Amino acid sequence: TLCFFSSCSSLLPHRGALRGSHWQSSVLTLRTSLPARAQPKKKKKVDVRREQAQKDRMKKKLKKLEKAAPELIPIEDFITPLKYSDSNRVRSLPALSPEETERRVLLLKKWCLFKQKQDEAEKKAIQSLVASQQEALKELRLESEELYQAAIRRDEGLFPFQRDGPTYTPPLPGYDPPEGKCVDITKVYTQ
Amino acid sequence: AAARRPWRLFGAMCLLRLPRITQPLEKEEEEMAALMGQIELEKSHYSDHEIRKLEEEERLKRRKESLYDDDDEVTGKTVIMAQDLEDKWEQKFLRFKAAPRITDADKKNIRTSLNRKLDSNLMLLVKQKIGNQDLWLLPQVEWQPGETLRSTAERAMATFLGDHIQAKILGNAPYGIYKYKFPRAIRTEDNVGAKVFFFKAFLQSSDFTQTELKTDHLWVTKNELGDYLKPEYLKKVNRFLLD
Repeated sequence: TLCFFSSCSSLLPHRGALRGSHWQSSVLTLRTSLPARAQPKKKKKVDVRREQAQKDRMKKKLKKLEKAAPELIPIEDFITPLKYSDSNRVRSLPALSPEETERRVLLLKKWCLFKQKQDEAEKKAIQSLVASQQEALKELRLESEELYQAAIRRDEGLFPFQRDGPTYTPPLPGYDPPEGKCVDITKVYTQ
Repeated sequence: AAARRPWRLFGAMCLLRLPRITQPLEKEEEEMAALMGQIELEKSHYSDHEIRKLEEEERLKRRKESLYDDDDEVTGKTVIMAQDLEDKWEQKFLRFKAAPRITDADKKNIRTSLNRKLDSNLMLLVKQKIGNQDLWLLPQVEWQPGETLRSTAERAMATFLGDHIQAKILGNAPYGIYKYKFPRAIRTEDNVGAKVFFFKAFLQSSDFTQTELKTDHLWVTKNELGDYLKPEYLKKVNRFLLD
């Protein structure tokens, strides 16, 4: 068969019969690329340009979103739920009498004085402790320098220091606390 | 090397058993706590439980006054009232018996037990022979060359309480010092007196079998120290005890 190069380029609908060139491998392949000389070239460029414009727009949007500050995680404690601002929720108690307000003010003043004395006593105790330690270290230095150096070295095993605080009643020996299940419903926010 | 000083060194350990229960409130503290509770009540709103209780009381009152059944009431099921719930909780609370704050050892004033005075610090005192006297002291042993003073104090603790004591020593530095000169009879050029360095530690093993050795021992609070220690010694010890 003779190869029809020229007829290849024209847009013949059925190529089944047109086995133009031997490098068109199979008859049934789809036309994947645009025909070489059929349409004018601007279609390709416009497409490419349009696609590039689209990509740029997307990139700009992405940049804008990224630049915006991340949304702050709401602090649940600071937002009172609306159901608590109903008027029927307000407590109805008798108003305070002047004697009561007087008593309260005097009590607050007594409390102020009490706390001040307590604080001063604590500070004095701490100062006496520090002074006693300084004196001990001074005497130790007079004794031997090497023991003194060993004494002022930092104690690595001291911190972190952990201790269970005192409770109201001492632990009951042989007490079996009741079983229960704890379901954690805290909301976790991601930024 | 410096010339040998004429002072003998001792390391003593002040072992504290920390309080297990809270101290009772002072009068001002109690009054203030009551006032704070009252102010908080006044400033608060009704909670869900209280609203439920109020509504049910209203309904009961209406039912008694009007003597007709609302459509809501005739449901057939038994409604649990908020008041019933409160009664149930109250019963459950009364059934629970907590351990007493004032223990048996308190009542009998057994000073060797650790279960006494659970709301204050307890310190260990042992009876030691110094010179030719038997004195109540914080446990102390003489310093050996080659060890730090802290290890001397640890050794002192171990000699009187055994090896299996868990105590947290607060730092390498001594907290106080007591120095005294020997009586003229045994004083020599090389042996003028002694310096006792005190270290502080918190007792951590909560109940240990009292494997105390032959010496007598006591666990006392800061106020009771005066019954046992000599005045000068007591003065120095009190300086580094916070209470």
